Amino acid sequence: MNTKEPRIKLDRRTFVKGAAAVGVAALAAPALSGCGVGGGRGGTLRYYINQPACIDPFDLQESEGTAVSANLFDSLTYYDYRAQELVGAAAESWEVSDDATVFTFKLREGALFHNGEPVTAQDFKFSWERMCNPNTADEPSVISYHIDKVVGYDAMLEGTATELVGLKTLDELTFEVTLSEPFADFVYVASHPALGPIPSGGAADDFATFSRAPIGNGPFMMDGTWVDDQYIQVKRFDDYYGEKAKIDGCDFLIFKSPDTAFTEFQAGNLDLSMIANGQIESTKAAYGNSVDGYTANPGAQTLMGAESSTYYFVINLEDKFFASKDVRRAVSLAINRQAICDTIFEGSRTPATGIVPPGIEGYRPDAWPYAKYDIEAARQALADAGFPGGEGLPPIKLSCNSGGGHEEIMQMVQADLAAIGIKAELDSMEWASYLSALQNGNYQIGRLGWIADYPIMDNFLYPLFYTDNGDNRSGYSNKEVDEKIIAARAITDTAERIKLYQEVDDILGEDAVVVPVMYYCHHDVASDRVKNLFYGPNRITALAQAELV
Amino acid sequence: MLAYIGKRILQFIPVFIGITLILFFFRAVIPGDPIKLLAGEKAMPDAIYEQIVKANHLDEPLYVQYGYYMNDLLHGDLGTSYQRKTPVIDIFAEKFPYTARLALCAILIEILIGISAGIVSAVKRYSFVDALVTVSTSILISVPVFWLGMLLQMFFGVFLKDATGGAFSLPISGAGGPISSYPTWMHYILPAVALASVSLAYTARVMRSQLLEVLNADYIRTARAKGLSRGAVIVKHALKNAMIPVITFIGIDFGVMMSSAILTETIFNWPGVGYEIFRAIGQRDWPIVMGGVILVVILIMLINLIIDVSYALFDPRIRYGKKAGDE
Repeated sequence: MNTKEPRIKLDRRTFVKGAAAVGVAALAAPALSGCGVGGGRGGTLRYYINQPACIDPFDLQESEGTAVSANLFDSLTYYDYRAQELVGAAAESWEVSDDATVFTFKLREGALFHNGEPVTAQDFKFSWERMCNPNTADEPSVISYHIDKVVGYDAMLEGTATELVGLKTLDELTFEVTLSEPFADFVYVASHPALGPIPSGGAADDFATFSRAPIGNGPFMMDGTWVDDQYIQVKRFDDYYGEKAKIDGCDFLIFKSPDTAFTEFQAGNLDLSMIANGQIESTKAAYGNSVDGYTANPGAQTLMGAESSTYYFVINLEDKFFASKDVRRAVSLAINRQAICDTIFEGSRTPATGIVPPGIEGYRPDAWPYAKYDIEAARQALADAGFPGGEGLPPIKLSCNSGGGHEEIMQMVQADLAAIGIKAELDSMEWASYLSALQNGNYQIGRLGWIADYPIMDNFLYPLFYTDNGDNRSGYSNKEVDEKIIAARAITDTAERIKLYQEVDDILGEDAVVVPVMYYCHHDVASDRVKNLFYGPNRITALAQAELV
Repeated sequence: MLAYIGKRILQFIPVFIGITLILFFFRAVIPGDPIKLLAGEKAMPDAIYEQIVKANHLDEPLYVQYGYYMNDLLHGDLGTSYQRKTPVIDIFAEKFPYTARLALCAILIEILIGISAGIVSAVKRYSFVDALVTVSTSILISVPVFWLGMLLQMFFGVFLKDATGGAFSLPISGAGGPISSYPTWMHYILPAVALASVSLAYTARVMRSQLLEVLNADYIRTARAKGLSRGAVIVKHALKNAMIPVITFIGIDFGVMMSSAILTETIFNWPGVGYEIFRAIGQRDWPIVMGGVILVVILIMLINLIIDVSYALFDPRIRYGKKAGDE
């Protein structure tokens, strides 16, 4: 809350500015009546987002909507990135069966929804079923994969069942989840904001109304409805069961262009903004660097911490040349990742040394032996593959979608590959066409990004490399990898589980299945009135902890 | 006149059907699966994909889809956005007023400044003012809108605020409302100026050249010879004739502003129609693309009708609905 009076230091410059202000104000007084100077309301944080796809947990799929919704809803668990541990949120405790298929969550007593209704196990059952019920909206949710291992999921999705039989309310505050196969990390899955509870008492009956102004159980509640393409306002929920938010509310301002948002920030009208292209160094100099890259305090406002997401090249393993792991290794070794990060992204991304990024439990620096720049080793690998100096290898196609710096990256990769004798052609197209090309296997090397839903290794290894998974776009299939992933999922001991996932990661690194290129990083800046704002690696800010000075 | 208007409105029907057919053709040939795009870079499970495809009749042959679309359309339903899960009519009902108000402000600037500058420039031909108008219009035409917009934002939103210690500035972006500490009308100033800039320059040029042409006509010389004052000759005789091409230009421009102010809407974060259609094309959100284009086409046809009717007000020789020689 902004209770502190601003201290005015009177020097010559301030005096001149003040005098000018008085003069202009006197001249323009009639026109300026009721006109402020920009900036927000007292105690209200002003936060930059793009247009979200959805803020209702029903279809919460991208970072913009999640940034809002994570403050409106408390899921069963919460991953505290600062402490790097999973803690209880709506659930105060939980138990996992020895075979990692049954999870029993004990909910907190006295927790309320924003409409005053108590939060019960029935509400969780209702909201999870709402997500996979084909009749909730005109179309089903595209993110019900979060709970696709819950017993009865397929029947519910097909419309042959009206409830998820794997969800049980043992009593008002005890919620039991039974999975069709072991998955010890499900407690992390349960931390996703999309799995937050929705009041089952009828508040969500009108889907269209509810999805524009969802009622949750989090530290903030909607203040009006989402005004399309303009703003979403939330205010502190005073009956929140946990520690109350320190700020009165937050205006999420929806921008089309990060450049405009940054100009608003420069004018003092935004408290958190993405930094415009080419302005990172000057922003660091003007606003100071955050100590940990995630926490903003006055004077340490530039946030550059690594995000839990990886930019990588997917390789079509159906292609006869890329079936050879030596060719894939050569490509990976030839790419000067540091140059890409420095030249195109002003250091706002860091070279990837594996598919699992920092911030994920089990992350290891330099995990993949071929995810590094070593041009001699690249030449050797190419020779080992039977193509010394690139001889006998036809030009390869580097596909990407236009914009976002992807073409520039591919141009640098083109030059890197030429240095070891591989000729490459750039095949750039707009997003929809590019995605179709990837889906139809009409590519050799393409680019993709993967953002973790939950901070676990499984969230990278299972979707991207398990045989026949939809996101395994390279078409990789390795029985040993599949078996180890399934075995790891059944281990309830966290350290043991991570160890096995790391073994899987080692196999993938040796096979150079994909080419990890960069880890995404924040490139955001906070205003000097913000204190203790933690912008997590998952691009979510727990606003309840932030203060305005 | 009424018969003429009725006839013109009837002509809307084949245009309207033609547009829907063209849009369906594009929808069929342009690559990109709109449903798979719903999940972004992530894969969509087959069961969910099939349900969404079925819910939108996308599994039916194209002519059947067209039948469904036209049936809904004739019942006033433009469909529901794939991405936004919101009825298209609701999306545009929210956005069209913003677009229309901004376009009107820009047109007003264009008329006031563009026409005045053109008149002064023509009347004071080869004077300093004429040179000033010629040079400044050349600059405005050459300057990219996004650059001008950003310059306006930096000057009026950031520099002026800093220079006056926060006493005066203009809103940088947005359309106002409870999140803004500025009165809503102030939010229109910068985007309207940016949107009007290029058109304003063209209007001034068209006005100048038309007026110069008319001022050399015989009937103007006659009017002057009659002893009419210079002002009266320009206002009563010259201007009326010179206005027709200017009105045509402004009318067409208004239609363009109503549908394609994408850069202005992006830079000034304006919740308008142009950017919405642009974004929907990228996402292959066909209900929005089709609904938006259909609404814009209807609007442009109406504007054209109004322009044609307005010709009669400026040129008494133009009479609609009567055959030559009726009078």
